[in-house]
Amino acid sequence: MPLLEIRNLVVRYGEIEALRGVTIAVEQGQVVTLLGANGAGKSTTLRAISGLAKPASGDIMFDGQSIAGLGPEAIVRLGISHVPEGRRVFPGLTVKENIMLGASNRKVGASQISREADAMFDLFPDIRAFSNALGWTLSGGQLQMVAVARGLMAKPRLLLLDEPSLGLAPVIVQAVFRIISQIRKDTTVLLVEQNARMGLSVADHGFVLETGRIVLGGKPDELWGNEAIAAAYLGGHAKSHA
Amino acid sequence: MDLVLQLLFTGIGIGAVYALVALGFVLIFRATNVVNFAQGEFSMVAAYLMVVCVELGLPYWLSFVIALAGMALLGVIFNLGVYYPLRHRTYLPVIIATIGASILLSNSVLAIYGPQPQVLQGWFETPGIQLGPVYLDSQYLLIIGVTILLVLFNFWFFEKTLLGKKLQATSQDKEMASLLGISVSTMIMITFIYSAVLGGLAGILVAPVLFVSIQMGSTIALKAFAATIIGGFGDVAGAIVGGLALGVIETFGAAYISVPYKDGFAFLVLIAFLVFRPQGIFGERVAEKA
Repeated sequence: MPLLEIRNLVVRYGEIEALRGVTIAVEQGQVVTLLGANGAGKSTTLRAISGLAKPASGDIMFDGQSIAGLGPEAIVRLGISHVPEGRRVFPGLTVKENIMLGASNRKVGASQISREADAMFDLFPDIRAFSNALGWTLSGGQLQMVAVARGLMAKPRLLLLDEPSLGLAPVIVQAVFRIISQIRKDTTVLLVEQNARMGLSVADHGFVLETGRIVLGGKPDELWGNEAIAAAYLGGHAKSHA
Repeated sequence: MDLVLQLLFTGIGIGAVYALVALGFVLIFRATNVVNFAQGEFSMVAAYLMVVCVELGLPYWLSFVIALAGMALLGVIFNLGVYYPLRHRTYLPVIIATIGASILLSNSVLAIYGPQPQVLQGWFETPGIQLGPVYLDSQYLLIIGVTILLVLFNFWFFEKTLLGKKLQATSQDKEMASLLGISVSTMIMITFIYSAVLGGLAGILVAPVLFVSIQMGSTIALKAFAATIIGGFGDVAGAIVGGLALGVIETFGAAYISVPYKDGFAFLVLIAFLVFRPQGIFGERVAEKA
């Protein structure tokens, strides 16, 4: 049984059908990457899983239990942590406080959370020095590290990562993806990326979304071999992304 | 010089009341993005609760506890009845609902208690103490003391506790807070209870100095609102500094310029700030966007 199974998921924003019957499965221990252009429905898929967007029809099963229609607070308590687009680090709180609040889905004391947050800096040494800096003073790469660290504090069984490479310098993107390949040892990851090269480099499985539908799925090698993907995502095409 | 010290003491005393109400404004504004126009009525209702309890012959401290408990309950009812049903709407319907609630509260008290202003005794038997050239009124001493304690408590609560951090997180980004498992509706409930108690405390403390009347809420709230703008809208330290500054300014204005224009000075200062420094004393210390 897959850890996460989405069947025929439809999500509407008013009149607009953002997802038109998406079906994907994520096996325990995998990294699965969701590729697609802007507006294809990648973020909407993650928002539906974490409870921010309400499914119009279809089902979302997590560990054999339907979570479609539950609120975000309930879903993160089940063990799905969503690191959303734009990092969303609390600007008026410090780095450490941001990371500590990531444990809000678990019943643990403040001193325990503080120790866990300190331990998190071992995985993210680049932000250790900024522990007491306010969120709004950080750079994009630092914000991404804080966002991922905060997401991991939930001790998730499934981590949803939305465009971790967006707007970052190539060297920072590589640092972020090094962290993802470390995280995967303990956590299942569903990753959304426009950067197909990076996204597939860490993946066990990939899906391609186009205007609210899954048009392709397979192992990274198979997707690389597909000419449509190569054309759409690896250059020479209007949709290509550096 | 003696007069200056005396006026400073009185000004800080009345300013502390504005500061408490302003703090209530700011906390609700930060949590919900809405200005609660019934914040002043919280003060008025608490003062009447106090008058009722004291008239029933209850001890002063017990009346005080009952009045504050009543305000906590009012905070719950206010949140569930006014804010919660409209929480997914824009700020406008919510603001109008708070204006409606303010009219409902003041007219309910009017219907029950009539239009005559009431008198509430101060907490202490001794009216005050003479300290050198300055006469320290005991009620003003109480107001200042309670305000200092509350400012310290407020700092500790928001800066040193995890719950305080969750409240801050909720006020900065509700959707992200909910993704982390923070119960946004609980955080907002706590904010309303806390703000209602703060407003109530201000009303109870100031009641022996002013008369207890239906209008006392709107007078205090207007000054407190001006204080939040002077301090920097949405800023906690700004609300406190703005409140104290306003109390001192209007006291000095009344003493040296004109007593009938006492209330006018607060708004003159407000207009001056709106023209020359609309971001207030503390401005925008946290950038709008990360």
